[in-house]
Amino acid sequence: MTVLEHEPANPLGMDGIEFIEYATSQPQALGTVLQTMGFMPVARHRSREVMLYRQGGMNLIVNAHPDALPGLVAPTSTPELKAVALRVRDAAYAWRRAQELGAWEMPTRASAMELNIPGIHGAADTLIYFVDRYTDFSIYDVDFVPLPGVAPRPPALAGLHYFGVVQTIGPDRTADWVDFYRTLLDFSVLPSGQYFGILPKGTLLESPCHKFYLQLIEPPPGSEDIVWTEGLLRIGLGAPDVLAATRALKSRGVVFVDRGPVQTSEKGALTQVYLGGVTFELVVSHLQP
Amino acid sequence: MNLDHFGMDTITLAGTLEGKLRAVRDAGFTQIMFSARDIVGHPDGEAAAVAAVRDSGLRVTGFQVLRDFEGLSGHLHAYKVDVAKAMLGMCRALGSELLLVCSSTLTHGSGDRELLVRDLRKLSMLAVPLGIRIAYEALSWGKHVNEYPQAWDLVERADRANLGLALDSFHALATGTELGGLEEVDPGRIFLVQLADFMWQEIRSPEERLNTARHFRVFPGEGVHGAEVAALVRRLDEMGYRGDYSFEVFNDDYVQLPLPIVARRARQSVKWLTDQVSRRSVPIRRATRR
Repeated sequence: MTVLEHEPANPLGMDGIEFIEYATSQPQALGTVLQTMGFMPVARHRSREVMLYRQGGMNLIVNAHPDALPGLVAPTSTPELKAVALRVRDAAYAWRRAQELGAWEMPTRASAMELNIPGIHGAADTLIYFVDRYTDFSIYDVDFVPLPGVAPRPPALAGLHYFGVVQTIGPDRTADWVDFYRTLLDFSVLPSGQYFGILPKGTLLESPCHKFYLQLIEPPPGSEDIVWTEGLLRIGLGAPDVLAATRALKSRGVVFVDRGPVQTSEKGALTQVYLGGVTFELVVSHLQP
Repeated sequence: MNLDHFGMDTITLAGTLEGKLRAVRDAGFTQIMFSARDIVGHPDGEAAAVAAVRDSGLRVTGFQVLRDFEGLSGHLHAYKVDVAKAMLGMCRALGSELLLVCSSTLTHGSGDRELLVRDLRKLSMLAVPLGIRIAYEALSWGKHVNEYPQAWDLVERADRANLGLALDSFHALATGTELGGLEEVDPGRIFLVQLADFMWQEIRSPEERLNTARHFRVFPGEGVHGAEVAALVRRLDEMGYRGDYSFEVFNDDYVQLPLPIVARRARQSVKWLTDQVSRRSVPIRRATRR
């Protein structure tokens, strides 16, 4: 492929994940889990019950505000992944373009003196935000107050970084969602058979910036009796050395699944389920944190 | 092919939503096609309508109809996008996985194929998060798209997994469109087939077409084009189409007859059609699905 063909492949100037957001009515419980995973609380929202956690280059928001996300129901006690914020060159442009191509606009939730982060609807009731202030000035400078006496930039454990997000989808819905991410956000499908980590299933999509992945998973065969809803299932964390990362995390109390086909290896690892629905997947990563 | 592949449409029946649901179920059907006004016109509100549908146990064939969507620009386009979003929302609330979209009749609409494709793609993307498929139908009095091969051309060009073709036997009969065009159509991309016949041999003008379509349709087997309708179903079956057949019968007499009588006629039509198709399709080798 020539350079010219590469150029328009990232028209939004996408540049990785700015933050990932959970909603929960029990933010302390999730905070405890996050801290064992190496995320440290660094700032609190000025007007809402929202905390910013950070680890290396990863920002993670825990939203416990009763109307956590616009137009949606109050968060439940089981934390749910509710939003992914994408770094783009021009957030307003990205937002307009996505809508012109058929995205649902997200109602604004900014209060006075708060930044309005434009977003669109993703799977189920999740949101995709566009953020363009992430270099010299960040969105957190406006909306968040730093926690006193806390290092604002805690280092990453074992080089952990965002690798991707796993999305559950309905039966026979892969093609629909592939079209969605290709059309609206310029993702591309990795050739079938190309997987990372230890959970090789579904369809992998690569971001146009080549900095993270989406994994789409249809219900597995024989799962007709289980409730399988569309939504964001879990975060994938990249590690240059998975075994070193699992050692570091185990020493902090993180438990990894070790049964059947899911075994920690140098390719990846999967944590146990926390709080009724939170898991983290580790993936050996070639990405630069 | 059996009764479960066929459904009635609320537009054929008079009275309340609950009465229609009961009549269709009592006649042995397992699915039914809804119009937006079944929901918004319910005396107890939209939620009550949705609950009645859920309680009926009937499967929702689809939800109709988004009109005059494609080919508009500026404020007209923005207006129609808002309408489409509301229709998609109702469709989802009703538990329908299919929204029927008719080709535009507006003289204000462009016939530029690229623009039409762009709009169909946009609609498809709006439908993805809601889990809805878009079935695009050539209305026989559509301004730029009035025969199914034109609709298929746009669907194929738009190339979105949740966008497919809706075929209505009435429109194909009314315009005299040959079935040969189906050879170009991927059966997996036909999302809905609507069936109806009518009582006269020929339709001479677009006005008469519209008038016939809205007032004088009958169930297959009751009109004068039975052989053609049966040929269409047989053809689709041989192509490998395994989706739903919905009786799209607008008829002024049927909306003033007792519901069980009309539902019984629909039921007889299923029998007539399956007899026609099974009888003649036995010797013909099934086309393998792509």
